[in-house]
Amino acid sequence: MKERIELPQGTLDLLILRTLALEPQHGWGISERVQQMSSDVLQIQQGSLYPALHRLERRGWIKAHWGTSDNNRRAKYYELTKTGRLQLATERDSWQKLTAAVAQVLDPA
Amino acid sequence: MLKDLFFRLRSVLRRGTVESEMEEELRFHSQRQLEKYLKAGMSGDEAQRQVRMDFGGLEQVKEECRDARGVSLLETLVQDLRYGWRTLLKSPGFAAAALFTLALGIGANTAIFSVVYGILLRPLPFWDASHLVLLNETTPRVGDVSVSYPNFQDWRSQSHSFAEMAAVNPVKFNMAGSNQPENIGGLAVSPNFLPMMGVRPVMGCGFTPDEEKAGAARVVLLSYALWQSRFGADPSAMGQTIRLDSQTVTIVGVLPQDFRWVEKCDVMEPMGVWATHNDSATNRGDRGDGLVVGRLAAGVRMEQARAEMETLAAGLARAYPEANDQFGVNLRPLREAFSGDVRPAMLVLLGAAIFVLLVACANVANLFLMRGAVRAKEMALRIAIGASRGRIIRQILTESFLVALLGGVAGVCLAIAGIPAIARLIPPDTLAGASVGMNGAVLLFSAALVVLSVLVFGLAPALHSARGNVHAELKEGGKTTSAGARNRLRGLLATSEVALALVLLVGAGLMMKSLYRLLAVDSGFRSEHVLKLEMDLRTAQYDKDPAVIAFWQQTLDRVRALPGVESAAVGTAIPLTDNHDRTDITVEGMPLPKPGSFPHPDIHIVSPDYEKTLEIRLLRGRGFTHADQENVPRVAMVNSTLAQRLFHGTDPIGKRFTFGNEPGRATWVTIVGVLADTKMYGLANPARLEVYVPFRQAASNGMVLLVKSSQEPTALVSAIRGIVASIDKEQPIFRIATMQEVVNASVSTRRITLILLGLFSALALVLAGIGIYGVISYSAAQRSREIGIRMALGAQRGDVMRLVLAQGGKISAAGIVIGSAASLGLTRLMAKLLYSVSVVDPATFAVVAFVLALIATVASYIPARRALQVDPLVALRNE
Repeated sequence: MKERIELPQGTLDLLILRTLALEPQHGWGISERVQQMSSDVLQIQQGSLYPALHRLERRGWIKAHWGTSDNNRRAKYYELTKTGRLQLATERDSWQKLTAAVAQVLDPA
Repeated sequence: MLKDLFFRLRSVLRRGTVESEMEEELRFHSQRQLEKYLKAGMSGDEAQRQVRMDFGGLEQVKEECRDARGVSLLETLVQDLRYGWRTLLKSPGFAAAALFTLALGIGANTAIFSVVYGILLRPLPFWDASHLVLLNETTPRVGDVSVSYPNFQDWRSQSHSFAEMAAVNPVKFNMAGSNQPENIGGLAVSPNFLPMMGVRPVMGCGFTPDEEKAGAARVVLLSYALWQSRFGADPSAMGQTIRLDSQTVTIVGVLPQDFRWVEKCDVMEPMGVWATHNDSATNRGDRGDGLVVGRLAAGVRMEQARAEMETLAAGLARAYPEANDQFGVNLRPLREAFSGDVRPAMLVLLGAAIFVLLVACANVANLFLMRGAVRAKEMALRIAIGASRGRIIRQILTESFLVALLGGVAGVCLAIAGIPAIARLIPPDTLAGASVGMNGAVLLFSAALVVLSVLVFGLAPALHSARGNVHAELKEGGKTTSAGARNRLRGLLATSEVALALVLLVGAGLMMKSLYRLLAVDSGFRSEHVLKLEMDLRTAQYDKDPAVIAFWQQTLDRVRALPGVESAAVGTAIPLTDNHDRTDITVEGMPLPKPGSFPHPDIHIVSPDYEKTLEIRLLRGRGFTHADQENVPRVAMVNSTLAQRLFHGTDPIGKRFTFGNEPGRATWVTIVGVLADTKMYGLANPARLEVYVPFRQAASNGMVLLVKSSQEPTALVSAIRGIVASIDKEQPIFRIATMQEVVNASVSTRRITLILLGLFSALALVLAGIGIYGVISYSAAQRSREIGIRMALGAQRGDVMRLVLAQGGKISAAGIVIGSAASLGLTRLMAKLLYSVSVVDPATFAVVAFVLALIATVASYIPARRALQVDPLVALRNE
């Protein structure tokens, strides 16, 4: 089993938005996808995933509808809204700036 | 922002749906996770355990989701309201006391405000009414008088402060009706009056500029009410004619429903019609009943307009000294003319009602504090297990708000029930067409009162509850530390209640004394068993004096013959009204003053028996007799003030004077009698110069028939109607009243003020008594251990009694001192309402202080008695 690391503050929203940029997804699907895409390094705590989803929904960055999951069960799907898409772009931008800067500090060229 | 609120609202309002959706979402997740673990090869139990561990606390996740959805803020409010509602239901005695107290306070305020709003605040139904100004002339000999029409014409052409000016003359008509003939009131107006006021007739289009000139055709606008009652709101009334004073008049329109004027206005005619039939249209010295309304020009302030008008009036006085010497001009906002002289009374009553509300709030605050003491442990416990102090304050404020809101609703209901009663107390003249009732503005005021009440009674107890020392409160059986501060606060509240009640009682006391003094004033006449009926002979058949005199003589002869009639008379004026004709007189041989300084008495035309019917004392000489006829030398009676001022103590009987200020063309009038002064202008006003002349020597078409009866005078009305109808069946009789009613109406404003002020102060007194009782009995209960020890150690009953009474005494003494100081400042505001009583009347203050001290003593005596029944053993064992 690979080592898992704690998610830094604020990155959860970014991960959710990024995942939903691919396609509408339900909560479980989001956590699976993140785990998969991070090669099992990142695992989202369910306890923080759902409050985050409800918060993003309230901010209007994502919206929810009920749909049917691949195993034919009713599931709540989230999808990105227009403002959510813009937000993702901004957050991705600042994340990249942040990591580049942090990297620069850690390993000065 | 709005979206956010909507989202939160949905979360709260559709809580059930949102909750079950959340549940389903989380369940779906757990199932998928479970399947995943099972697929990975875990056993059923192990997989289930792992899922639960992944999730942490399910409830906690849900709560965090709720927070994330923004449910909390609104939901805690809902929670607090529910919790507050439950706690109120749990202590119904407390709830009922608080609600009832607040309902009385808010109800009283709402009711009074509805009157204040109706009379003083509701916008007049005119365009931009704040720039409308009422102008009248003034002269130092009389005060405010009407405007001479030629003067108005000069004002209008010469002034620059006004965008427009219009003359408004009250007119009267006899309208032959379908059943009973009626006397109606109307206005003759300059044609620009309606456009200037922004009033558009609902039918027709008002008057044309040509209709200002004498000779205009007889046309009228009907009031909406008359159009309804007379024509059933039939549009075909336009162009029809009605008979006014036996003249045919064409209807050219209908006034809007909301039009109202200071006097009752049933019809409106153009000034030209009035000018055709009135000499005063061209006679500068003749001031009838006319007033002038002007609209201030843009940017011109009242004071600038006043200055310009005064200069203008001074110029007119120089140009026409005969007519205008000593005449000035007075300006006031039109609004004032409508609210009349009730404004000070209204404001005093509104202030008094606010005081009642404050007393009520103090009482409710006391109740909350008392409950705060009971709940101190609960609050301390909640703080101890993590509730923030802010949260506690919010919860108690929510409870206060709930109480205030319910109290407000109950108060508004009380007001709705009470407003008609108050409105009935107000004489229609005072209302000037204003309607008093519940409306949006009044409701808004009540809502503001609710908020104000929460701040006044809720804030202190709320802050107090959250301040308690958690540690001390929770100690087993420990004495609460905040109790001392709480008791001080409660003592302070009771003190302020006493102070507020004292101010109200002083106000009511001063009013009562004023009214008592006023009614005890020698009015100069006796009102008992006297009936008054007014008539105005306006039809063409009364154009000549003999016809007028004959009508009155015939009426008098036949009324006097009615069974039960002790005496009867006609006269142009009755006491306690303030509408009297005046003219200059010249006493034979007196040095002639400047035109504006001649003696200017009221002239009353009366029949024989006038003084007998009203029981006015004849001080000297004789009253009029049947012999004082048309063709004999003219005679007059004067009042005692005139006799003193003009004859300086010498006997006026046999002296002669003449009307007007040109003794060269004199018809001399001989004084044959001196009557005692009567209060012609209201009980509070001093007598003026009065001259009485016999009705056969100066015929008057408008007269008041006065009948003194040996029985209930109103029983005569139908018989008198019969007599008048048999002489002239088209002659209306109007304003029928007993003289007692006239006296009452003259003091009606004061009487209403007294009734309401008395009611309010009684309310405040009771509330203050309850307040003191609450404080003393609570603190006596708290001190029962101390009292028990004292008694065990041998304290006498008297000592304990003194101990408890002293506490009440301190509260009432402090309240009386503070209240007296406040009264000294505040009663000044009601000086205008008082009559012959000083605003610092020592007797009133003394009586009021005594009453309050008495109430306070009773309120503390009851708990003191209870304290004495404390069994020392029980009190000590309680520890």
